[in-house]
Amino acid sequence: MLQALRHAQPADDPPATTAAAWAGGALAWAGSWALVLGLDGPIDLAHQALLVVLGGTLAALWWPPVAALAGGAAAVLAFNALLVPPRGSLAVARWQDALLLALMAGALAVAVGLIVRLRGQAGQARLHQARAEQLRQLGEALRDSGDPLAHAGVLQAQLAALAGAPVALLLCRAWPLADAAVATIGHADDEENAGLWHGLRQGRPMGPGTGRHGELAHWVLPLRGAVTEGGAALGAALLRLPPGRRHDDALRAHAQALCDQFGVALQRRFNREAADAATAQAQLQAVRNALLTAISHDYRTPLATILGAASSLQDQGQRLDPAQRAALAGRIVQEAEHLARLADNTLQLARLDAPGVVLQRDWESAEDLVGTVMRRARQRAPGRVLRARLEPGLPLLHCDAMLLTQLLDNLVDNALRHTPADAPVELLVRRAPGGPADAPPGVVLAVRDRGPGVAPAWRARIFEVFQRGESAAGAAPPRTGTGVGLAVCRAIARAHGGELTLRARNHGGSSFECHLPGTTQPAPAEGTA
Amino acid sequence: MTLRVLLVEDDPALRNTLRDALQVEGYTVHTAASLSEGRALAAHAAPDLVLLDLGLPDGDGDALLASLRQRSSAPVLLISARHGEQQKIALLDAGADDYLVKPFSVGELLARMRVALRHRGTRLAPAVTHHRSGGLVVDLAAHRVALDGAPVHLTPTEFKLLARLVRSAGQVVTHRQLLADVWGAEFIAHTHYLRLYMGQLRAKLEADPAEPQRLLTEPGVGYRLVEGDPEPAC
Repeated sequence: MLQALRHAQPADDPPATTAAAWAGGALAWAGSWALVLGLDGPIDLAHQALLVVLGGTLAALWWPPVAALAGGAAAVLAFNALLVPPRGSLAVARWQDALLLALMAGALAVAVGLIVRLRGQAGQARLHQARAEQLRQLGEALRDSGDPLAHAGVLQAQLAALAGAPVALLLCRAWPLADAAVATIGHADDEENAGLWHGLRQGRPMGPGTGRHGELAHWVLPLRGAVTEGGAALGAALLRLPPGRRHDDALRAHAQALCDQFGVALQRRFNREAADAATAQAQLQAVRNALLTAISHDYRTPLATILGAASSLQDQGQRLDPAQRAALAGRIVQEAEHLARLADNTLQLARLDAPGVVLQRDWESAEDLVGTVMRRARQRAPGRVLRARLEPGLPLLHCDAMLLTQLLDNLVDNALRHTPADAPVELLVRRAPGGPADAPPGVVLAVRDRGPGVAPAWRARIFEVFQRGESAAGAAPPRTGTGVGLAVCRAIARAHGGELTLRARNHGGSSFECHLPGTTQPAPAEGTA
Repeated sequence: MTLRVLLVEDDPALRNTLRDALQVEGYTVHTAASLSEGRALAAHAAPDLVLLDLGLPDGDGDALLASLRQRSSAPVLLISARHGEQQKIALLDAGADDYLVKPFSVGELLARMRVALRHRGTRLAPAVTHHRSGGLVVDLAAHRVALDGAPVHLTPTEFKLLARLVRSAGQVVTHRQLLADVWGAEFIAHTHYLRLYMGQLRAKLEADPAEPQRLLTEPGVGYRLVEGDPEPAC
């Protein structure tokens, strides 16, 4: 890309006349003179004069204007000396011949003038085209790349080629402008650096021809985007102007166009970053609001029951019989336990979401974890059918026991709440299938039920905070949702480098499966029996 | 003579609720709202049992535990929040007897207190040598273990592990305490030994090792052997 852009660099000064061009002009002259002298005799003086004018006109196509005019003048003098009678002298015998010479000189001058003008226009057109092409290529490069800063070198090279001297750039890395968030490309001394900063902050060009600091030996051109507050630019370029090269307004305008194009690209990037940040912020806010709404909702349901039962005990206590009082108290205890679990899960989710969370990992046996969870589940749901199955010879798990029991507690609780009272719930631990033979085996902890299952549309979203699944049969959503329960489970699985998935079972029901990666087992106990 | 309980708890609502519940059970309750108040009362009231809430505004309780341990063997029950694991374990290792996680029921609290009071003084007096719960009978002095009348053969390490739990039956014993007492102080980081031998013990002593009824796990803390049946009067 850089090569291609350098290639498109147009010559700004009139091109130096090449040897081939000199030769072309000389050939034109030689050809016309060969005809003039060779045909001397068969053709008359007027025809010969026309041939000379033709040669001079052709030579003007190649030669620089001064050389072409000098060549023409020399040709008229030589024509006079060699062919106009009396031959061999510059004297002219007849007034008709004097007129012919004058017409020759006039025609040559006009033709050379016209040709030179045409050549100038063609050169200007080529220059404009090359500059437009250069702008287009830079624009495309900037558009295709997400990061304009990666193309700063291209801009630097193009400007250096334009100015004929090394160029320094000062570019904003981030917006709004901060002193630390700039990149300097190319070398600039202290004074030049101050100039760059000035140009960047003012957003206006400086240097010869700009009307500001015309005494400088360089141009400072701002990289302007759209209008910014305070008029600051997104960068500035310093173009040193070596003496002896022509630096006109058109050149500066082109350099400024290149700079502005870069500035616009930078601004586009900053705008995109700002938009992305705003979107992320809005999404975060939306998640937070959804979380707060859902937490309030999930807390209010058990709170309503507690308040109702407690106030009934308070106001009507004397009129209730002992069985009614016991039932109310029991409901308060039950709903308070539900609230406690909800609070645990919410706190745990917040903890796991925080950066730098440290797990209290130790070697744990699946038997220990499952035993604890089963015991708690039986206390909570004495009437339910619960089964635990552990594959024999399971490896130890290197995990946080509190977190993994919380995960299994939630999954079992979830299964119990969303399945009919007579549906069994099963806790299963087995080695993960597959994996390389030499790697330590992973472990899958699954909680399986024979409930209505989860609708396919909900399977992916059920682990998101406060999503409430619709059962596959299209039944109304359950009164109490999983709240943060499943979200915490997934966060716990991921904190252990594992994953939590939901699989629909054949013949109905769901299987929530926590996949934990294998860990190299510790050395077996030694010296003890 | 009624038993004196020192309750150190900074939340007034919980403090008053627990005080009332304990008074109904016949305990004399002294309440303190801070560690410094608790230290003063501990010296003055000579409690038979201390309920210590962790997370008090003026310290983490280890100074109170140390000063209590200097002058008495009164059991200390910790009341901890869900996420205060490390502090709780450190205090258990330092000699606290058991713990309860907030929120807990009064029933749980009373059960833990009963166990703790039964173990009261065993630091000085001869240790428990018998354990009987359900069909399990352990006689530490005779090195005998029987399940439903049939003798059970345990390896020496299995027996040492069971014996350690029997001596604190009904109370949690931390991983660290078990490893230090059974294997030795240099093995306190080898939790995997514990998992292995606990698995073996359960295979011999539990009907369904996946759902233990006797050797219970306290996740992240330690193990607890269920409280023994009341000893028949001898």
